[in-house]
Amino acid sequence: MIPRTPHARFVAAAAVVTSGALALAACSSTPETPSTDEATPSTINLLGPEDPATFAPLIEGFEAEHEGYSVEYTQVPFDQLNSTLQQRLGAEDSTIDLYTVDQPRVAQLAAQGYLVDLTDLAGEAQEVMSPTMYDVNVIDEQMWAASIWDSTQLMFYNVDALAAAGVEPPSSDPAERWTWEQTVAAAEQVQAAGETEWGLILEQIEYYYQLQPLMASLGGGSGITGEDALTADITNDAWVEAMTWYGDLFADGLAPRGVGSFETSPIFADGESAFFVGGPWDVGVFSESETNWAVAPMPYFDGGEQVTPTGSWSWGINPASQNQAAALLFLEYATLNPEGNLLSTQATTIIPANAEAAAEYLPQLEELAGDRSAGVADLITYELENTALARPLTVGYVQFEEVMNTAFADIRNGSDPAERLAEATTQLEDAWSQLR
Amino acid sequence: MSPRRTRLPLTVLAAAVGILFAIPLLWVLTNSLRPGAETFGSISPLSWETFLTLTPNVDNYAALAGTSLGRGILNSIIVSVATVAVGLVICAMAAFALAALPFRGRSAVFSVIVLSFLIPFDAIAIPLADVFRTWNLQNTFTGLVLPGLGNGMAVFLLRQFFLAVPEDLAEAARLDGLGWWGIFSRIYAPLARPAMIGAALMLFLFQWQAYVWPLLIGTDSEHILGPVALANMQGQFNVDYGLMFAGAVVLIAVPLLIILTLQRYFIQSVTTSGLK
Amino acid sequence: MTTTIAGRTRKVRRGYGRVALAFLAPAIVVLVLVRLVPAASALYGSLTRSSLLTGQTRFVGWENYAELLGNPDFRGAVGVTVLFTLIINPLQVAIAFALAVLFTRRLAGVRWWRSLVILPIAVPPAVSAVVWNVIYRPDDGLANAVLSVLGLPPQPFLTSPDQALAAVIVLLSWVGVGYWMLFLIAGINDVPGELYEAAALDGAGPWRKFFHITLPMCRRPLAFVLVADTVSNLLVFAPVQMLTGGGPEGATNLLMYDIYTRAYTLGDLGRAQAEVVVLVLLTVVIVAAQFRMLRGDSEGA
Repeated sequence: MIPRTPHARFVAAAAVVTSGALALAACSSTPETPSTDEATPSTINLLGPEDPATFAPLIEGFEAEHEGYSVEYTQVPFDQLNSTLQQRLGAEDSTIDLYTVDQPRVAQLAAQGYLVDLTDLAGEAQEVMSPTMYDVNVIDEQMWAASIWDSTQLMFYNVDALAAAGVEPPSSDPAERWTWEQTVAAAEQVQAAGETEWGLILEQIEYYYQLQPLMASLGGGSGITGEDALTADITNDAWVEAMTWYGDLFADGLAPRGVGSFETSPIFADGESAFFVGGPWDVGVFSESETNWAVAPMPYFDGGEQVTPTGSWSWGINPASQNQAAALLFLEYATLNPEGNLLSTQATTIIPANAEAAAEYLPQLEELAGDRSAGVADLITYELENTALARPLTVGYVQFEEVMNTAFADIRNGSDPAERLAEATTQLEDAWSQLR
Repeated sequence: MSPRRTRLPLTVLAAAVGILFAIPLLWVLTNSLRPGAETFGSISPLSWETFLTLTPNVDNYAALAGTSLGRGILNSIIVSVATVAVGLVICAMAAFALAALPFRGRSAVFSVIVLSFLIPFDAIAIPLADVFRTWNLQNTFTGLVLPGLGNGMAVFLLRQFFLAVPEDLAEAARLDGLGWWGIFSRIYAPLARPAMIGAALMLFLFQWQAYVWPLLIGTDSEHILGPVALANMQGQFNVDYGLMFAGAVVLIAVPLLIILTLQRYFIQSVTTSGLK
Repeated sequence: MTTTIAGRTRKVRRGYGRVALAFLAPAIVVLVLVRLVPAASALYGSLTRSSLLTGQTRFVGWENYAELLGNPDFRGAVGVTVLFTLIINPLQVAIAFALAVLFTRRLAGVRWWRSLVILPIAVPPAVSAVVWNVIYRPDDGLANAVLSVLGLPPQPFLTSPDQALAAVIVLLSWVGVGYWMLFLIAGINDVPGELYEAAALDGAGPWRKFFHITLPMCRRPLAFVLVADTVSNLLVFAPVQMLTGGGPEGATNLLMYDIYTRAYTLGDLGRAQAEVVVLVLLTVVIVAAQFRMLRGDSEGA
C-alpha cells in the first residue's frame, strides 16, 4: 500500500545477459528523441514496483485527457525490479515502453544504453522542478529521465511519551534543529522513564538512503570519489565516527536489531519509540494510528553540516519501444504536467516532483493528520530547498548500495565499524572492476 | 520389548519430542486464527494463550482472496497440478522404455537419465534462468512448469515397478495386436498404480516447495507463486501477520493433507526410492 | 507428441531401439532443456567476462576461477559451507536415527507421537523461514519468550555472527529430521526380528542389541540418508536469502546465496557461473555416490 519509495532492499540488480543483443544495444548510437507530435492513440506499457492502486488515478486522468490512449501497468516486486529490467532491456524487449527508475541508477542505465535521451525536455523540466529533482536525471548535460516524486526525512516524536518523561520536545523550526547528541540524550531519558520501549529508530534502518546524511553531516562525503566516481572513500574518520555512533544505537538498546527496514514504522505507530526518523509517507501511515505525535527537523551532528536525504523515482523510456512518442506523452503528463503529477500522489503520501503540484499537495499533507501533522508542509519545503543531499551519481551505484547496505547491517549487529568498512572497500573494488 | 522400568521414561521422551516438533505448527495455526495485531502481544508473557485461542476467526483466510499471496497460492496449485499431469506421463514413458523395452545401451541410458535428473535442479537454476530469459520464458507458466517435468527419483521408482511386471503380459498383449502405447497405458501404468501415485506425489512436492526457481523466473504479479508471495510480504511496511500466517497455513496444509491422505504411497515411494 | 508411436512400432521387429527412443523422447527433451543446456551455458559463461557498461563479452579462460580463489567473500562462503555441512549432516542423521529407534519401540501412543515429528516435512522451505523469522525475533519473538519462562537470558539468534548459523541449522532440522527419519524407520523395520530374539536368548541388553544388530543392519539406509541429506543441505537458500542475507559478517553466507548475490546483485555473471560450475561438480560427485547406492540396492532386490 505504502510506496516502497526511495530505498533499496536487497537490491537485486544488474544481471547482464551475455548475449550479443546487449552489446548491440549499448553500442548503437544514441536513439533520437521522440516527439509527442508523432504520437498516435495506442496502448502504453508501464513497468514499476508500486502497487497498481498507486498509479490508478494517474492512468485514469491520462486516459480521460487523451482519448484513444490506454495504459497497461505491470508491477514487478522491488526486489526483482532491477534484475528484471536488466534482463528485459538487455534483450531489447519492446513490450516495455516506459519504466520507473530509482534515481541513483539513472547513470548506469543511461551508460548501458537503456534510456532514451530526453534532453529536448530539459528546458521545461528545469522550469517546473527543483534543481535537485532536475539534476538527478542529467549526466554530462544530457537528460535521461524525468522525476515523478521527491522525498525527504522528518523526525517524528511521541508527544505524550516525551511529556510524561519530562522531556522538552523539539521544535519544528529548522532554525532550532536538534543535534543527534541531544536526540539520543532525550531518547534515553524517555526510555529510562519507561515510557517507550525504544528511544530512536531510523526508518530504513540499514539502508544507504537513510544513513548517508550521518556521514555527510560529519564531513565524510558520500563515500564515492574519483574522476570516474568509482573509487570508494568510506574509511575516513567521519565515516568511522558516524558508523560508531550508528552501531551504538543498537548496542545501547536505543533501537532494535532483527527488525527489517520496512517493519520499523509499526513500532512508532504503536507508541513504542520516542523518536522516529521517517519519510513523508509516514505522515499517511501514522495519521491512522492512535499515537499522539508531532514532527521536527531531522537532526545533525553537533558542529556538523545540516543535511537530509532526498531523491525518489524517475520515469524513463525504453529505446527498444516501438511506441516512444506515446510513451513520451504519458511521461510528460505524469511529470511535467502539474495536474498529472498531482494525481500520482493521490493514492499514497509522497512528494510530487513537480513544483506546482508540490505547492498544491503539501497543504493537503499538512492537514492529513490534523494537529499532529502541523508544520509538515513548511518543514518539507525548507528541507528540500536547503538541506537536501542527493545520493552520488555514479555508474557503480547499484553495487555500491548493495555492498554498503550489507556492511550497515553487520555494523548494526555489532561488527567493528573501521574493520567492516575496510572490508567493504575491498568488496567495492572487486565489484567495480567489471565497470571499468 | 522394552523392559518395564525404561518404558515409561521412553514414552515420556517420545511424547515430548513429538510435541516439540508440533508446537511451531500449532502456533502458526493459532496465529492464523486471530488478528495480526495480536501476534506479538500474545507471545509475551508466554501462556497457554500463546499457542491456543478461545476466539478463533477465519477473517485472515477470507482476506487472502484478492491479495498477492492469495493469487500466489492459486498459481502454485495451477503450476503443481500441470507439473503432475504432464510430468507423470513423461516420467512414466521414460521408465517404461527403460524397463520393458530391451535395446542396446539401455543401462547406460538409464544411468545418464536418472543421474542427470538427480543433479539437484537448484544448483543450475541461475544459469537456466538466464537461458530461459533469452527464450522469453520469464513470467510464463511454461517457464515455471518445465523444470519440474523430469524427476530422476520418479523415473527410478516407476522403473522399479515396471520391472516387476511379467514380460508375458506384454507379449500376450502384442499378440492381441495392442501397440506399445496401448501396452504402456493399459497394462503397465495401471499395474504400477502405487508407484504412479508415489511419483505424482514427488512431482507435486517438488513444485509446491520450490522457491529458488519461481523467484528467478516468475516475478510479475500474475505468475507469482505462493512461497515467493509469502516471502515478499516479509520486510514490507506494516506486515499483516495474521494474513501471513493464514497464507503459511494454506501452503503447509495443502501438501500435508495430500501426504496424509496418500500416506501409504508416500512412505512406500520414499522408502522404495531410497532403499530397495 | 506420441501419436505416431503405435504406427511406427509395427514396422520395427527386431530390437526396440526406435520405440524406446520415442518413449524416451519427451524426457530427453526436458533433460536437454533444463539440465544440459544450462550446464553448458554455465560452463561457457564461467570462461567469459562482460563489462556491465558496454555489455561486451570477452573470453578470459580460467581467470574467473583464479579470481574466485582469491576472493574473500567466496572463500568465506566456502568456509561457511564446509562448516555447515560438517555440522548439520551428522547432526540431522544422528537425531533422525535416534528418533527412528525411539519411534519403532512399542510405546503408548508411539504412532501418534511419530506422526507429530513427521508433520513439519510438509512445510515448504520459504514458509519455514517466514515462521522461524518471527520465532527468532530478538525482542518480541517466541524463542526468547520461551527462554525467559525457563529463566534464561534472551539470545540474539539471527542477529549474532556466533548464533546465526546454528539458528539456521535448527530451522532446517525442524523440517529435515522427520523426513530422513522415515527412511531410517523403514530400515529398522526391515531388520529381521529373529536377530533380536536370538540376541535376547544370549542375554543381550538394549545397548548391545543396538550396537550389534540395529546399527550394522541399518548401514545402508544410514549411508543413503547421509548422502542425500548432504546434497540437499548443499543447496540451502531460502532461509539465508530471506532471513540473514548471508550475514551477520558472512556467518551464514552459504554457497548458493553467494552465487545468487554475485549474479543478481553485483551483476558479476562470469564469476557467478564459475561458482555454479564448482557447486555442480561438487553435487555430481555426491550424487554419483548416491546413485551407486540406489543401483546397488536395486540389483540386490
